[in-house]
Amino acid sequence: MTADANGVGSATNADDDASTTHVDGDERQGMLAVEGLTHRYGTEQALNDVSFTVEAGEAVAVVGPSGCGKTTLVQAISGHLSPSSGRIRLRGEKVTGQPPEQRAVGLVFQTSTLYPHMTVGENVAYGLEPQGIEPSERDEIVADYLSLVDLTAQRQAYPAELSGGQSRRVELARALAPQPELLLLDEPLSALDRSLRLQLRAEIARIQRETGVTMLFVTHNQDDAMGLADRLIVMNDGAIEAIGQPRQLYESPPTPFVASFLGRPTELAATVVDSDPLQIEIADRRVTLPAATRAPPTGETLRCLLRRRMLSLAGDNEHTGLTFSGTVERVTDLGRRYTVTVRIVDGTEVRTEQTAPPPAEGEAVTVTASRESLLVFTATGKTVF
Amino acid sequence: MSRTQSGWLQPPTGRPELLVPALLGGVLVVYFILPFVAFLARVGSTPLIEGLATPEAGQAIRHSLLTAPVSTTIATVFGVPLAYVLARRSFPGKRLVEAVVILPMVVPPVVGGAMILTAVGRFTPTGAAAAEVGIPLTGSLLGVVLAQTFVAAPFVIITARAGFGAIDERLEQASRSLGYGPLATFWNVSLPLARGTVVAGIVLTFARAMGEFGATMMVAYNPRTIPTQIWVDFIGGGIDAILPLALALLGLTLLVVAAIQRVGRLPAVVER
Repeated sequence: MTADANGVGSATNADDDASTTHVDGDERQGMLAVEGLTHRYGTEQALNDVSFTVEAGEAVAVVGPSGCGKTTLVQAISGHLSPSSGRIRLRGEKVTGQPPEQRAVGLVFQTSTLYPHMTVGENVAYGLEPQGIEPSERDEIVADYLSLVDLTAQRQAYPAELSGGQSRRVELARALAPQPELLLLDEPLSALDRSLRLQLRAEIARIQRETGVTMLFVTHNQDDAMGLADRLIVMNDGAIEAIGQPRQLYESPPTPFVASFLGRPTELAATVVDSDPLQIEIADRRVTLPAATRAPPTGETLRCLLRRRMLSLAGDNEHTGLTFSGTVERVTDLGRRYTVTVRIVDGTEVRTEQTAPPPAEGEAVTVTASRESLLVFTATGKTVF
Repeated sequence: MSRTQSGWLQPPTGRPELLVPALLGGVLVVYFILPFVAFLARVGSTPLIEGLATPEAGQAIRHSLLTAPVSTTIATVFGVPLAYVLARRSFPGKRLVEAVVILPMVVPPVVGGAMILTAVGRFTPTGAAAAEVGIPLTGSLLGVVLAQTFVAAPFVIITARAGFGAIDERLEQASRSLGYGPLATFWNVSLPLARGTVVAGIVLTFARAMGEFGATMMVAYNPRTIPTQIWVDFIGGGIDAILPLALALLGLTLLVVAAIQRVGRLPAVVER
């Protein structure tokens, strides 16, 4: 398993890790193994040598911005798309060439695919017939899964009569009823408003706990991914950027992309002033980084990321952290908190969040960043600090 | 100002912004109704029942009621699958296939009939061979069916294609992932969801087949269908002579169209 976040810096690295899990059939097989999956639409590379495994009972999130190849990945795993190259195994069995109906992969899309001409009960029962389950048994299974998603009363209703959240839950029940080996969710929460999304996120977590189904879901929303997944696969531009546990990837992101995607930090340019011990200059401040993992030469430009959550205005720990002086550019009132955008001396805009009453626009302030908020990478994306 | 005031005075359904399009459309509707009414106004001047009681009229009605449903069935059985493929897949030469499908609508029916004659007429190898074994492709009911299918089939193909195209492909993918093969998915999901448009296409095709004259006249002047018999009556006796059969054609077509729509709207088993 490629759980070590720092160890997986590139797709090739992940590939090696994944393939060693499957040297022979006697070893414990992952539920899903994706090996060197590559796909092109014409000349456009949608997936580039993607490899990973998902263990039985695990919930894994594939995250990345729109257009990073997530949906192509789901389509390939479910069998609705035949990849240009690479292999897909379910329980160790190669399924790459098999049609979707032979794969035992449940699929839930971003938008509803409930059949409008069937009732809720009939929708949930739909996947049971091909399994050869007797009609009398089907009734019972449908009842079980409708009660799992708490929609027993809606059995005779038509999809058009359901609310957005209800239809999502029916869709989950329908996908789960045939007891698939793997449940694939393609942006399952993206079409919902915020409160419904949080509610359903908890619901999916509960259903996954109760059924123990292996779940792979795709999302562009880092909160959904962090909140639901045992492991994250961060994708960028068709390739895997990192694989690891959510907290681990968040705390020590192996690449600037992972850091930006999961933490939405502020980026500043820095220059190496001295390499032993590493001292860098950010804006007009010099910082010494004694625990740096790399020693770039003096004069090299580095990328510094400051986590927004650990930034504050005129903080109380000025002596321990980094401070930047600047002026307040904008204040946004978000109800429960304020976002204060400060333009610091080198012209970069830094955003901080606070619940206390904010300063006025144009006011001179000091932004304090704790040392833990700082992530430093080389220009090519290698971790420095 | 006065317009908004009149808008206020109109019943709640009145929408002044639709006034201009409604007027423009109204002109056309009036133009449709006018000849219709003028034609029907002559009903009193000719005995209808006697007109329909002639052996020629009876035969024409029988022939039409035999051929048009067969043509419609052929067009549906072959056309709906084609419509599905055109809606779902892109393949090299798709544009060409689409152009070919529209072709019978573009050429005048009489030219279409001439084209059928040059392909399967009595003096072509195919036509001669078929006539040899006793299945003449021209001057026969089969010839009528060939002509009607050629002219009327594009309607069901084009309409059904739009219907299938409007279905989110993910509904079909979900069905596949729930264990159904492509054919079962088509029957369970695609066809029921496109039912309305497919039925509309069948109705259009049937109506067109019933009224088909140009190509039929070229391929099979005999045995006569209602439209060809109407032409013969018109040559012999003018407008009044065609009234009985024209009304019969109209009535029969409306009857069958209503029946098809009723069957098409019948709730599927699952809907109860």
